[in-house]
Amino acid sequence: MPSPPPAELLPGTLDLLILRTLVRGPNHGYGIAQRVKELSRDVFQVGESSLYPALQRLTLNGYVKAEWGVSDNNRRARYYTLTPAGRKQLVAEEREFERIVGAIRLVLELA
Amino acid sequence: MRILRRLAYWLRLSSHHTELVNEVEFHRAMVEEDLVKRGMSPATARIEARRTMGNDTAMREEARAVWLWPSLEALWQDATYTLRDLRRNPTFTIGVTLTLALGIGANAAMFSLIDRLLFRSPAFMVDPSTVQQVYMYRTSQGKESGTGGQFARYSDMARYSTAFSQIAGVSLKRLAVGVGQGTRVRNVAIVSAGFFGFFDAPPVLGRYFTASEDAPPDPAPVAVLSHALWTTQFDARRDVLGTTLRIDAVEYTIIGVAPDGFVGLWPYRPPIAFVPLTTYGRSEGPPDWATTYGHSFGIDPIVRRKPNVTIAQASADLTNALRRSYQAQYEGNPAGAPLDRLRPRAVAAPVLEERGPEPSRALRPARWLAGVTVIVLLIAAANVANLLLARAIRRRREIAVRLALGVSRRRLFGQLLTEGVILALVGGAAGVALAVWGGRVLSATFLPGTEPVSIITDARTLVFSGLVALGVGLITGMAPMAQLARTSLVADLKSGPREGTHGRSRLRTSLILLQSALSVVLLVGAGLFVQSLRNVRDVRLGFDADSVLVVELEMRDVRLDSAATVALRLRLLDAAKSVPGVAHASLRESIPFAGMSSYPIKVAGIDSVRALGEFHFNSVSPDYFSVMGTRILRGRAFENTDREGARPVLVVGQSMANVLWPGQDPIGQCVRVGLDSLPPCRYVVGVAEDIHSESIEPESKLFFYYMPALQWNPHEGGLFVRTRVDPSVAQEPLRRALQREMPGTAFVTVNPLGNIVGAKMRSWIVGATLFTAFGVLALVLAAVGLYSVIAYNVTQRKHELGVRLALGAGRMRVVRIIVLESVRFALAGVALGSVVAWAAGNSIGPLLFDQSPHDVVVFGTVTVVLVCVAVVASWLPALRAAGLDPKTALQAD
Repeated sequence: MPSPPPAELLPGTLDLLILRTLVRGPNHGYGIAQRVKELSRDVFQVGESSLYPALQRLTLNGYVKAEWGVSDNNRRARYYTLTPAGRKQLVAEEREFERIVGAIRLVLELA
Repeated sequence: MRILRRLAYWLRLSSHHTELVNEVEFHRAMVEEDLVKRGMSPATARIEARRTMGNDTAMREEARAVWLWPSLEALWQDATYTLRDLRRNPTFTIGVTLTLALGIGANAAMFSLIDRLLFRSPAFMVDPSTVQQVYMYRTSQGKESGTGGQFARYSDMARYSTAFSQIAGVSLKRLAVGVGQGTRVRNVAIVSAGFFGFFDAPPVLGRYFTASEDAPPDPAPVAVLSHALWTTQFDARRDVLGTTLRIDAVEYTIIGVAPDGFVGLWPYRPPIAFVPLTTYGRSEGPPDWATTYGHSFGIDPIVRRKPNVTIAQASADLTNALRRSYQAQYEGNPAGAPLDRLRPRAVAAPVLEERGPEPSRALRPARWLAGVTVIVLLIAAANVANLLLARAIRRRREIAVRLALGVSRRRLFGQLLTEGVILALVGGAAGVALAVWGGRVLSATFLPGTEPVSIITDARTLVFSGLVALGVGLITGMAPMAQLARTSLVADLKSGPREGTHGRSRLRTSLILLQSALSVVLLVGAGLFVQSLRNVRDVRLGFDADSVLVVELEMRDVRLDSAATVALRLRLLDAAKSVPGVAHASLRESIPFAGMSSYPIKVAGIDSVRALGEFHFNSVSPDYFSVMGTRILRGRAFENTDREGARPVLVVGQSMANVLWPGQDPIGQCVRVGLDSLPPCRYVVGVAEDIHSESIEPESKLFFYYMPALQWNPHEGGLFVRTRVDPSVAQEPLRRALQREMPGTAFVTVNPLGNIVGAKMRSWIVGATLFTAFGVLALVLAAVGLYSVIAYNVTQRKHELGVRLALGAGRMRVVRIIVLESVRFALAGVALGSVVAWAAGNSIGPLLFDQSPHDVVVFGTVTVVLVCVAVVASWLPALRAAGLDPKTALQAD
């Protein structure tokens, strides 16, 4: 059965998804992409060309911290950890996301 | 916080880069592993992983761009890239650097000159905008002329004016400094004590003189040294205070040293010392020096306006003061001309002399030259733009590849711009170095008699040069961008010589046109100035200054009565004649072009000789006409028998004979000179050819005659000496021989007459030299530009030319095609440039001497020269084209 084409992420939601996946614990870029893909049941495919700039942006803003570690299959990988500031940001972004989705739903139901 | 993180990031830039590479590589490996797990063969998985990852360079760049100042990073990258690239193409780099260095250097030198002449206020001066130089005028015989300079006049102006908070009298003189063989004529500032109050320049040692030291009748012999003299001649010793220095006739006690760089109002003629106005006045002037209006010391007042006094009010106040001064003078001497006829007038002018009502002769050519250097800069910029453009076109495929690999166009533009700016900055630096040298030449040409002053290495000139370089860099860097903006990626990737058509770049064509046109303008200017210089040189001055030395006597404090002075002069004359290399020597009173003497003369039958014009004279000894090479046209020159007591005689100039005695024989006519009303009627014994005594232009209403030195003022003046050898060789032996005859501290100076006359030709010499130099420079640049365009076109047309050759076109035909293309460029440039030069002709006309600015010969010559250059510039590429092997040309690529 041919799978439907991956969906476009809503603008601004990639940071939210990355932060959310990191709540479970530190992960590397590949792992984050995989998790988003799995959790969304293959709806979202995070391309490297947006993933790594996003990770740099989060690092710059101090929402995540990057450290080199060893992956499950014994390779050196850069692991990203959620910082307290990142947690706060996640809460704020989740709230904002809910607000927008709620608004969209309202429009869809009432129009 | 973000700033700190960013800084930390920047500090470890390269390790961040590797980390990102490693991180992405890990990602790729994981993808590959995953694919293998799903049953793909390892080899296919590797390729597939790479494919899904896409353009990882672009991704990395974007990831890095997050860390801001991406533009800064890009700039840094572009700069290193450019520098590497420039190192790899040394010919290109040197060519561009030299071109820009010439263009920017010429402008830097000119800027610093113009800046100093017109814009920069004197160093250390407090609030220069309120300081004015005072010029005074009065009308005599219906003609207004400059006046002033007396100490009494200056005192009156200080006493009667009310609009000023400060006033000082100043004068810069060349005076003998030192004693014995070490005596040198130097610039000395003669200033009133108030002068120092105009500046904030506390002395580095000792003090300045005070108003009580600078007051008649008994001023103090005290001097303040310049910092330069203190360090060079006195080894910066602190115990110099209290020692003495002989300046002119006075033994001055040194009381202070001015700070480094303090040169008063005279940046180009820095004084070596400052002495009180009154001390100098008393030593130099007659006994009534402080009160007489009859003796000028050349004192100019400078004033500082009180707050809220406008310049117009200042001038009015000064005029009023001058009127009161003349009123006082008239009351003291009712025989003088009354006020309403003199119409005295004073002007408060800017403190910079060149901005005042009487700018020097150097200013106008300097302004013109500034225009010329701007043209040179334009040509240089056009040339560099052209070279950069050629390079960009040559690198078209490389650029297309980079675009295809994901480099953004903006980024590429940025890089081209960086390249232009870096080249321009390097060229600018070289230009400043060039200007340091050129500035010395400039100041020597425009401000002769000045001491060498470093005029470039100051902040203003450097900032100016930097800005010019930056501007040129941006503009030249932009040229390839215009080309790039139009390129189509796919076409460029596929592009090769086989396309056949050679897309001629319109921008390059316009640039080369602009260059040739501007060169034509400069070359026409050069031609006109060279012609006019030749006309100047061809003017028969009535004497031949080339091998003549001027001897002047400086008596300082040695006072001789007139009999002793006459004896001294005759001794000097004999001494001069016995110096080897001297052909003739003569006494003389005045020097042509350096101010001639004149007295009213009376001639029987003419009511007012004065109405006919001005009559200058010189009193000379018999050898004078041989010394000067002035021809006697009728009658005789003077003889040794024409002395005191003998029949008074004179020799008149031809025009004077014609105007006084039209149609009559001038020989034997009688002239009364000055106040001689009684018998000594002076008889004309000869007629000499006319001479120029004031300017090289034709002198109308200016006449000339001679009297024997022993019959008129035998104690006045110095000598003229004609040398058989080069005057510069004879100069020093002559000076030494004459110096031996001089009593006490008196001394002689010996200088070539050519220097004095040459000064009058200077503006033409400067014009001719510099226009020629810049014209040739422009021509070379245009030739290089033409060559590069033609050579490029040949490369582009290789395929087409190969086809022509293969089809049987003769080699000469190919040469002709290429050369004609170049000639067409040149002719178009000539057409454009000629129009501009023709239009500019009217404004350049006044600078030329007896020369039409629309000289067809000059325009024609320039056309021929440019066509020749076009042929030469295209010759090599044409030969290369003709030498093409059709087979290789067609197979290439």
